[in-house]
Amino acid sequence: MNVTSTAIDQLQEELGALAARAKPTDMPDEERVARAKHVFVKRISMGLAMNLESCIDCGMCAEVCHFYMATRDPRFAPVRKFEPVRRFYRRELTPLRWFNRLFVKDINVDDLKESQELVYDACTACGRCDMVCPMGIGISETVHLMRESLAAAGLIPEELRAVDQEQREKGTVLGVGPDQFRKVVQELAAEGIAIPVDKEQADILVLSSALNIRLFRQSVAGTAKIMNKLGADWTMSSRCFDASNFGYLSGDYPAEKTVTLRIIDAAKACGASRVIVPECGHAYVALRWHGANMLGERPPFRTMAISEFIGREIEAGRLRVKEIGNGKSVTFHDSCRLVRHGGLLTEPRIALRALGLDLKEMESRGRTAICCGGGEGSNYISKAEPLRQRAFEIKMREVDDTSADSLVTSCDSCRYNFMTKGAKANWNHPVESLVELVANNLAD
Amino acid sequence: MTLLDFARGPGLQWSLIIMIVGLCWRVIGVFLGRWRKDLSRPRSDDLVQGGLRAIITRSAPAPELEKNIRFQHYTGYIWHIGFFMTVLLYEPHIAFFKSILGFGWPGLPSHLVVIPAAITLAVLVMLMIRRMTHSVMRMITRTDDYLSLIIIISTLVTGLMAYAHMGPRYETMLALHFISVELLFIWIPFSKLAHMFFWLLSRYRIGTFFERKGVKA
Amino acid sequence: MRKNQSLGEYLQGQGVSRRGFLKFCSATASMMALPPSALAQVAEALANARRPSVIWLSFQECTGCTESLTRSHAPTVESLIFDAISLDYHHTLQAAAGHGAEAARMAAMEENAGEYLLVVDGSIPVGNPAYSTIAGISNLDMLKETAANAFAIIAVGTCAAFGGLPHADPNPTGAVAVSDIITDKPIINVSGCPPIPVVITGVLAHFLTFGAIPELDALGRPAAFFGQNIHDRCYRRPFYERGQFAETFDDEGARKGWCLYKLGCKGPTTYNACATLKWNEGTSFPIQSGHGCIGCSEPDFWDKGGFYNPISAGMWGSRDALLGAAAAGAALGVGSALAARRRQKKAQGTEI
Repeated sequence: MNVTSTAIDQLQEELGALAARAKPTDMPDEERVARAKHVFVKRISMGLAMNLESCIDCGMCAEVCHFYMATRDPRFAPVRKFEPVRRFYRRELTPLRWFNRLFVKDINVDDLKESQELVYDACTACGRCDMVCPMGIGISETVHLMRESLAAAGLIPEELRAVDQEQREKGTVLGVGPDQFRKVVQELAAEGIAIPVDKEQADILVLSSALNIRLFRQSVAGTAKIMNKLGADWTMSSRCFDASNFGYLSGDYPAEKTVTLRIIDAAKACGASRVIVPECGHAYVALRWHGANMLGERPPFRTMAISEFIGREIEAGRLRVKEIGNGKSVTFHDSCRLVRHGGLLTEPRIALRALGLDLKEMESRGRTAICCGGGEGSNYISKAEPLRQRAFEIKMREVDDTSADSLVTSCDSCRYNFMTKGAKANWNHPVESLVELVANNLAD
Repeated sequence: MTLLDFARGPGLQWSLIIMIVGLCWRVIGVFLGRWRKDLSRPRSDDLVQGGLRAIITRSAPAPELEKNIRFQHYTGYIWHIGFFMTVLLYEPHIAFFKSILGFGWPGLPSHLVVIPAAITLAVLVMLMIRRMTHSVMRMITRTDDYLSLIIIISTLVTGLMAYAHMGPRYETMLALHFISVELLFIWIPFSKLAHMFFWLLSRYRIGTFFERKGVKA
Repeated sequence: MRKNQSLGEYLQGQGVSRRGFLKFCSATASMMALPPSALAQVAEALANARRPSVIWLSFQECTGCTESLTRSHAPTVESLIFDAISLDYHHTLQAAAGHGAEAARMAAMEENAGEYLLVVDGSIPVGNPAYSTIAGISNLDMLKETAANAFAIIAVGTCAAFGGLPHADPNPTGAVAVSDIITDKPIINVSGCPPIPVVITGVLAHFLTFGAIPELDALGRPAAFFGQNIHDRCYRRPFYERGQFAETFDDEGARKGWCLYKLGCKGPTTYNACATLKWNEGTSFPIQSGHGCIGCSEPDFWDKGGFYNPISAGMWGSRDALLGAAAAGAALGVGSALAARRRQKKAQGTEI
């Protein structure tokens, strides 16, 4: 593999020490509760209100949640994860709130602290529960609201808090800044891969991520190869190359907004009509689906994930790939944020089929795909390790059941997760990136 | 005033009034909540169709999901269908609705309605036991859930007893049945039973939410 | 009819054979749900019974109860029993009038003090006693005066038993039942509008036989006749069970004799012997004739939501009130939503 195991080990060691870097967010208990409640008041609109009105306590959500399925621990039932906001809503915002106040208990700081484990450790907001709820409740977005309230209350888990604070204060993630970016660009240039940086005008602004720079340089290389093959008028930005959004991951909404608006500014500055997000699920959702709302209007460019871009270019016949079948079978892991929350179901499969690969689908795929357990920042929370490892075993079995030779995915966090957790379970199933697979097999 | 006179008279009057006041209050109140327009460019042109489709497709989850929820899925249908058959297709009930709505509809042979009523009762009792013993259910169940179950079960029990002329004298049993139904009326707006009015809205909403992204909810 | 004649002598004098008499006794005994072994006792008691003095007071009534009792196509042993009592005062049947009639009443009360039966039909107005008077005496006063030395009181008809038609909403005369005024005498309520004739004579026969009042239900009615509801003995019950109902009075269901529940039959909540004993010597009863039971032997049967409104329908249905409730609910919904929105709007624009 192109990823050096030392790079992975280095990163893992650093992640282990993250907690210590977090600056404390101490405040009186009453203030924590008040700030959490303020987020609820501010952010609950009719859609979220519908979610909170409609629950009938049927428990079906638990039956499809990978954390519950792996452990059978009833605390992980998705509906329970947002219990504090539900109680707040019933007491303070629902139309019949005056009656509810008679018997619904007010939330306190213990409720908030208890929910921290539930929404950060034991939930990746994957949204599989959203697919089964008979009332059509958007559980994952309500869990995200819980994260926002905990963030305001200073209760982000330390590791995530550390990186969020780093991004807020320094603009970097895991120490990856413009210098590290330029270094990788130079290294790739030395290998013959040209990457235009900081062009004044460009049609396509391509983004990267901290994980790209630290672990998956070949992803950057692959993207560059594809862009150059297409003859696209593209550029990357040295001061705005990182699409990763730790405000989003930690629930720190103001930080999420800052990062997103910065990207939008950079895109506007170079007049881009398209912005390409790297293989990173949450970055795609933050820019593609939240960006317009944060900006207050639709940005003047279209946001595409790199897998989306590749699929569309292949479909249009502009990008041609070699058929590398030879009986090789692959299965595709549908990353939660890209597929269920992003809609990119068909584009990766267009690419895989164009490559002539025998695609063996997992039983749960597309909108019902099972989360690998590595997203939404959960990879950073060390105390959640054992739990996530157990949840990962469900995914392992699913992949094994397809008997596919290789597993392809288009999200760095998922890829990292498969590699590290797989290694820990002595699984070591080949995991490939869609971008690299396509870039390495471009037709001449 | 006998118990039956009360049940058919002021009991019915006030329970209906409370139910309608409560329901209009709650549903209209939610509907007029703060609405945040989603400005992102939708992937699909047809958000409304996505919403309407979700109303139907949510009733039949994908097989890989349904296999995990099979028991609740089927028992949920059985008791809901059985309950509505009992309520809507029994001639004396149809006469009741006609007196309020002004119109009726054809019903089933009366002695056959006992079948869905009894099945519904059995399933509800089973589900209540499940709620009291299953680990997830015990964790998420609130008083609302138990009260809703008990009130609905009491309408079925009193109805079946009145039908079979079991227990107290018929006019008392009929009065108790009326009163149990009136309790149900009053309970609907304040409890999870209001979901009978929300399910269309929330399914529609999740349909449009995911349709926007190009995902079938 | 000589007053001191026994009932047996009187019937013999009227040409009733011993066999006929025993037939009557056995029919009476079975009607009163007495065991066959009681037949001998009934026969002997009736044969030797002295003719009791009966004073019949008619208040706010339509005389239907008397008509029911006295109109028969052929003289029956029941009517002879009725004749056999010493009816010392009865507005419709007595020969005397005016002061003479009242004098006869006072004489009977005095001669048979503590032993005479008081039969009352019609309700008693207490709103203003002047609504109904006899010989210048209000019903209220006459009842109290006559009941004082009576052995027992039979309230014949729903008006006397429960207030009946005059008692129906809005009860302009303040009509009440006998039992609302007299509380210190045994009262047998023989309700019905009118009661089945044979029920009256059955009660009298019981009284003649045992010198006591029969077993009564919670409403003071003889349990033997009012112990079961019409629904349980109705011959159209199978149609009820099968859900076959007449929807109008001349539709296919009506012509086929289907259940009259949907046309307002109150059979299930009405206790009487109509479905078994029937009327006009067992000819028919309302349901058999195609009209639902109106519940005439029950208290307040006029105010049970209407004769043509089914029991399962509420007695209340006001579209205006429901629309008003919807409007009130909507207003509260709008108000609560606006209050919540205002609170949420204020929170926008803040940092967190």
